[in-house]
Amino acid sequence: MMKAYLQLVKAQLLLFARNKNSFIWSLLLPVFMMIALGTLLGGDNEQFALEVSIIDRDNSVSSKELVQALKKAPGVTTVDQSEKNALASLKKNELQMVIVVPRGFGTAMASKTEKAVVTVYQDQGNLSTSKIGTAIVAGTIDEINKKIVNFQPRIDIKEKGISTHQLKYMDFLVPGILALLIMSNNLNGVAAQIASWRERSILRRMQGTPLSSGTFIAGQMTARILINVVQAFVVILIAHFIFGVNVYGSWGTLLFFVLLGTLTFMSIGFIVASLAKTPESASPIAGLISFPMMFIGGIFFPVRQLPDFLQIVVQAIPIGHLTTALRGVMNNGATFATLQVPLWILLTWFIVSFTVAALTFRWDVK
Amino acid sequence: MIQVQNLTKRYGNQTVVDHISFEVREGEIFGMLGPNGAGKTTTMEMMEGLRDSDEGKIKIAGVDAKKQKKKLKQQIGMQLQSTSLFDYLTVRESIELYASFYPHSQTVEELLVAFDLVEKEKTWVKHLSGGQRQRLAIAIAVVHDPKVIFLDEPTTGLDPAARRSLWDIVLKLREEGRTIFLSTHYMEEAEILCDRIAIMDHGKILALDTPRELIRQLATTSRVEFPLIDRAYDEKFSTLAGVKKVVRLEKNLIQLHTDQLAETLQDLIPLANSYQFPLDGISTRTATLEDVFLEHTGKRLSQ
Repeated sequence: MMKAYLQLVKAQLLLFARNKNSFIWSLLLPVFMMIALGTLLGGDNEQFALEVSIIDRDNSVSSKELVQALKKAPGVTTVDQSEKNALASLKKNELQMVIVVPRGFGTAMASKTEKAVVTVYQDQGNLSTSKIGTAIVAGTIDEINKKIVNFQPRIDIKEKGISTHQLKYMDFLVPGILALLIMSNNLNGVAAQIASWRERSILRRMQGTPLSSGTFIAGQMTARILINVVQAFVVILIAHFIFGVNVYGSWGTLLFFVLLGTLTFMSIGFIVASLAKTPESASPIAGLISFPMMFIGGIFFPVRQLPDFLQIVVQAIPIGHLTTALRGVMNNGATFATLQVPLWILLTWFIVSFTVAALTFRWDVK
Repeated sequence: MIQVQNLTKRYGNQTVVDHISFEVREGEIFGMLGPNGAGKTTTMEMMEGLRDSDEGKIKIAGVDAKKQKKKLKQQIGMQLQSTSLFDYLTVRESIELYASFYPHSQTVEELLVAFDLVEKEKTWVKHLSGGQRQRLAIAIAVVHDPKVIFLDEPTTGLDPAARRSLWDIVLKLREEGRTIFLSTHYMEEAEILCDRIAIMDHGKILALDTPRELIRQLATTSRVEFPLIDRAYDEKFSTLAGVKKVVRLEKNLIQLHTDQLAETLQDLIPLANSYQFPLDGISTRTATLEDVFLEHTGKRLSQ
């Protein structure tokens, strides 16, 4: 049935390319969103905003100098409070970072042999902000190093950031838009398309041929994967050339997560199309599922800004993990090793939803 | 070619197809005539293996349609009531897609020529006329050169010219030796196309024969119809020469069934004169399948 499979892939690609609506909604919309949000919020040099408390235990000349430099660091807003309060608000996600300059910092700076140390507390669970935070601290310290010493670095930062590039809002936004694109293309796209094909008896007509449902679904998946990969690539290219967004991680890893996201949301789309009582209700149901996901999936703003009770939900659903994974790879060069949590949660979602989709698939109207 | 025995389908406590049995002979056009909701489509979909029946046996070209669905689908071709084609594929692409589902198929060129679609091969299905779309649907039904073809109301919604050209195509398919099972609610279509007709209503087959025989079996051969609101004379009509039956149709139409048309009319005119009722809109005709349907179901097929 190779012949049928190839024809189905070809047909789906042609249908996609020729249907103006699907084309506009799935490609122009993300690009438009990126440009609109990027111009409105991204600004030219506006940095990603981090709320930070700096605790100076040393109170020496050099420690004060460091604190001043950090306060002036781009994208950093400092909140003055006691160490205890600072750590408490960090736990509550009200702060993204607490920097502690320990006692003896000044002495260490003055000494030739000892290295001065600062401690950075941050939420390890939130990969993107922690990496950005580390990058900003590292950058500031690097500057001071260069200023006070000619060659040898005098201050070391305990937690080393992987990425030392400056991240802007666009860097944050583009992976989110990719995740949104993958979700809406597949969940909403598949649910609407399958339901409409069922309504117009297109599926029943195919059921009247020796075509197997397995071949049909395989053709659908292949075509949609191709479409999504090309779209993701176009979005990244536009983001790169207009907003200077870079992919710091491996393209292979990025591709893997695009595929995994596509397959997961496509399976959920198939389930929605199968379970909807009437074909007309499939699209609204898919919308009802995906719309809230837009806001709690970390697409436009970080998940940490959401209230506590939503955090559990966010951890359970696939969209947040897809955004985290894409953001990790694009912004911080994350690898499979550092993306274990999103990887396994997405894989589980895919396997479960694919199984349910395969079991509930039907050609005709109930 | 096709044997159906005791076929039954229920939805909840409603029986949509009620223990029907019939045979379709090889090479004939077998018509199922009935109004919407009579159970025609459900019957066809059970025969096509698209719907499970609750009771009964279906055998098509030696294949058990309920148990050997995969084998059945190689043997039969079908056109469904709704268009069921992709709007954004061209005629050629649609044929190629369906051809790929079968191990062997006719060439696209042969089909384009046979169904008069050569000029439209690069047109999207979306932009085809109703007639062209139905021709394509039937071309796709025979893409794998099947012995048996199911056509579900193939000319519904078509204009008269498109309907005639589709009839030619169906007749040509019979010439090629195929067995055709078609459903319709057009009496004229059944009369012109079908070798034999099953009249169906409320899930039951009420009569089954050749069109000529069905008409011949009617008690009377002619009909006289005219509008008359006043019901006072209905009894008098039955005493007119040759009249065997007086029927009140909808819209205050009265219908006289007669074997002696001329005599009936000769009696009718003086009657109308003496009681001062107009015979405006009077019509006479020989009995048709429509009357056969009316006789069996008590209602008209086309409204």
